[in-house]
Amino acid sequence: MSESAIEIAIETTALTKRYAGLSVVRAVSIRLPQGSKTALLGANGAGKTTLLGMLTTLITPSEGEARIAGFRLADNHAAMRRRIGVLAHSPMLYEELTPLENLAFFARLYGVEDREARCEELLRLVGLWLRRHEPVAVLSRGYHQRLALARAIVHRPDVLLLDEPETGLDGEAVALLDELVLCAPGLTVLAATHRHDRIGEWAGGTVVLERGAVVEDTASRPVEPAATDEAATPEPAWSAT
Amino acid sequence: MVGDVNAALAVVLKDLRLTWRDRAGWLSAASFAAISVLIYSFAFDLATSDVRPLLPGVLWVTFLFAGVIASGQSFQRESEQGTFDALLLAPVSPSVLYFGKVVSNLIALLVMEVALLLLATILFDTMLITAELVLIVVIGTIGYVSLTTLLSTMGSRLRSRTMLLPVLALPLLVPMLIAAVRATGASLGEPSGSAPWTLLLVVFALWSAAGAALLFPSVVER
Repeated sequence: MSESAIEIAIETTALTKRYAGLSVVRAVSIRLPQGSKTALLGANGAGKTTLLGMLTTLITPSEGEARIAGFRLADNHAAMRRRIGVLAHSPMLYEELTPLENLAFFARLYGVEDREARCEELLRLVGLWLRRHEPVAVLSRGYHQRLALARAIVHRPDVLLLDEPETGLDGEAVALLDELVLCAPGLTVLAATHRHDRIGEWAGGTVVLERGAVVEDTASRPVEPAATDEAATPEPAWSAT
Repeated sequence: MVGDVNAALAVVLKDLRLTWRDRAGWLSAASFAAISVLIYSFAFDLATSDVRPLLPGVLWVTFLFAGVIASGQSFQRESEQGTFDALLLAPVSPSVLYFGKVVSNLIALLVMEVALLLLATILFDTMLITAELVLIVVIGTIGYVSLTTLLSTMGSRLRSRTMLLPVLALPLLVPMLIAAVRATGASLGEPSGSAPWTLLLVVFALWSAAGAALLFPSVVER
């Protein structure tokens, strides 16, 4: 494996998604280095959510290829999904369960070994430890987002894909988001956002989408010849720590 | 392998906990089943005629419709709360998630069916809690739940999902229902014997479970 392949965490090559013949994402090619923080920008309907959906493996691309943490997206390795954390529009929480039950369930699903300690650590970090036995349904939208953030990182992912992560968060929670995710060293972040005023605080580069295509990219690394030779290698780009 | 078993168990326990916390759907199904059996018990003349030949039909029609009401609940909840996507993001095969869903639906439905057998035993004055009959009910329910879990996944993203499940499920379940009714009848004293029908029921249950587990990953793909 070349040095270049080791450093690239998210790589897409002409990634395209069409619905009923209409291209929602058009030939998107980006190369985001490990540990980079990238803001994904674009107006409503530009294709940000669909692009993130493909990178999370929830949406199957129509054309093109992508590699996350060295794994080919098309292979949909369980090992690859273990390295990805997702914070979407919807908090993806069970409202009838408590924060502790929600977090413990996802920790078990991801095979987290120190489940109890990890859940306690995260619930304390997001300020929900004292409300850990209350049903999620009675918590406010802001608390839902805090818990969703904890869920997204419960398995200690290497790559985080976020869709408008600041939505519904107060100032304290935004600071928490910065501390745990957006400014966390070593973590690769690709976040769709409309908060242009905050990009300078955390993003090292931006990718701008317009009608599904990349119109500006200050985050990607240029393709190096050695990196393309690695395209068929199914090995992970780096080991989890 | 251990990870898959652990993940499936996590889904089972989570679904059973959710079923217990949000009982409305299952209580509706149980109420429907209890009222149906009660009405049948009044409709038949228990004093002068032998109702045993009628009981297989009574039981399976009640199981079928109560199951249709109840079994869409799990995926409907997942779809409404967006949690199904969170399940699909997990590093386990979709078949493992499917297996967890089937087992939790199976347990909930079997609890309801056993309660219904007890009620029918009292109302029809006929012993229905026998090892043979319980085995037939378990096998039939495995086949039934395997299929309806797959179909409710297919319908969970559609607005007309409440209508879609019975429309799709009922024709596919006809062979299983025929086998289940005949096997139940035989276990209640029909001369034909239950073995051939029970065997057909087993084949249907295996076919449903295997086919649905293989199809599930394609069904959840977008």
